[in-house]
Amino acid sequence: MDCISLSILVGLAATLFSLPPAVAIAWFLERTKSRARGFVQTLVMLPLVLPPVVIGYLLLRAFSPRGALGRALAWLGAPVAFHWLGAVTAAAVVGLPLFVMMIGQAMKAVDPRFEIVSRSLGRAPWATFWRVTFPLCWPGILAGAAISFARGLGEFGATIVLAGRIPGETETIPLRIYAELDAPGGEGRVAGLVAVSVLLCVACVVVSRVLEAWYHRRLELER
Amino acid sequence: MRLEVDARVRRRAGFTLEAAFSCETDALALVGPSGCGKSTLLDSVAGIEPGARVVLDGVDCSGLPLHGRGFGYVTQDALLFPHLTVRANLTYSPSAGPIEAAARALGIESLLDRMPRNLSGGERRRVALARAVVSRPRLLLLDEPFGGLDEKRRREAMSLLDHVRQTFRIPMILVSHVADEVIGLSDHAIRLDAGRIVERGSTVAVLRASETHIDNYFEGEVAGRERVRVDGVDLHAVLPEGTAGRVRLACYAHDILLARTAPEAISARNVFPIRVARMEALEDLVIVELERPRLRVLVTEDAARSLDLRPGTEAYAVIKATSIEHLGAA
Repeated sequence: MDCISLSILVGLAATLFSLPPAVAIAWFLERTKSRARGFVQTLVMLPLVLPPVVIGYLLLRAFSPRGALGRALAWLGAPVAFHWLGAVTAAAVVGLPLFVMMIGQAMKAVDPRFEIVSRSLGRAPWATFWRVTFPLCWPGILAGAAISFARGLGEFGATIVLAGRIPGETETIPLRIYAELDAPGGEGRVAGLVAVSVLLCVACVVVSRVLEAWYHRRLELER
Repeated sequence: MRLEVDARVRRRAGFTLEAAFSCETDALALVGPSGCGKSTLLDSVAGIEPGARVVLDGVDCSGLPLHGRGFGYVTQDALLFPHLTVRANLTYSPSAGPIEAAARALGIESLLDRMPRNLSGGERRRVALARAVVSRPRLLLLDEPFGGLDEKRRREAMSLLDHVRQTFRIPMILVSHVADEVIGLSDHAIRLDAGRIVERGSTVAVLRASETHIDNYFEGEVAGRERVRVDGVDLHAVLPEGTAGRVRLACYAHDILLARTAPEAISARNVFPIRVARMEALEDLVIVELERPRLRVLVTEDAARSLDLRPGTEAYAVIKATSIEHLGAA
């Protein structure tokens, strides 16, 4: 698979993969009064401040083919280290803080009293989430997904450590650019890949902004 | 209902609510100035604020989550689910019964397929009330349901709530910072100040004359042009062209006069014999409750004394046709 298709595939898979935990964590942070919120918030935000290479190293330790988890995943046919799933995992972990932050903002914009009314009408918290919170904030979640996807496209440090640079398997656009920089006559290919990267990321940001604006306008109208 | 509550809430900002009471009434009002803790007490009963002991009709609800209590909750902002139609809002509760009766009682039958964003503020509140009623709650909690409405719409909304109360017989707790809102709708009241209960008892006993603006809400059958039959008495009222059937009406207690003999040559269109059912003192005023039609009249203590009013006294009530406001179809 060429590096552009692979990057898109990795970005999409990472976004889908991190969507459930991102929604759950954002809900926990925004809608509960648990004392563990501070700890969870710190943990989730760590990938934002840790050097990506460090994240890659920690992930490699966790998913090492010699470790129990790595062996179990390999046995299940889904090895992470030095596999395209490794690129997905790295992109998902590095993109998670942004994703959680954007979903959190979307949830913050939904008046929590809607949820109180829903529960007073007999709907449990889980049903309330699916019937009220999610339908009201899904455009915000989608906007977050677009940003998370863009972040996944650009992931380099953690990916090269966890997944390596295997052409056609784990070599995403940033890894290919890195390789082409040293290759004789690679400038033209680098320029082309940079242009594709920029275009994809700008498209994601535009989609995210449009969704966000539409979402806030919709909430405003319905207030 | 028989309700026992023991609520203690401590806020970071220094506000503390400590309120314990028990009462036996179908309509309880929580009154007091803004920030006194009325809404916090209501939230404690609802289960939104955790930790309160709440026993309703002998059933301890303290350990039940908000969604397990079966308490309808209506706020000043109607909080209709914006992504659902009015009909879907009404049937949202898993315990929702048929919507027709509530929709008819609250006059929202024509709005069922609209989205909340296409409703006026008054319509939204009616839908919110209907949604709570349709969910068949054991107790209706109303947090300033008429706040922010102008005088006419507030009277309309209160009359509708009274109509709902009579029709569906749901016990309720009404929060209001305006004491006059509660007298027509509750028979028991609790006054809070700075998070403490400072007065409790019958609504009239708890209210202060200076803040009382008593309203009468009643229904009647249109019996001709500008005439409505209420409890067997024909009253003249200013009705919109073409009004027919059963209508809701309102008249302030201070707009009704009492006379021991029938006044003659008087501009007021309504002069009819009455009998005093009961009387209640409100500082230097007296609330006189009439038998038929059941109306409250506010007179000074001096007037009550000079007319020698007492339960059973027969007299005449005088009301100007323009003092009876038509609030819509019943």
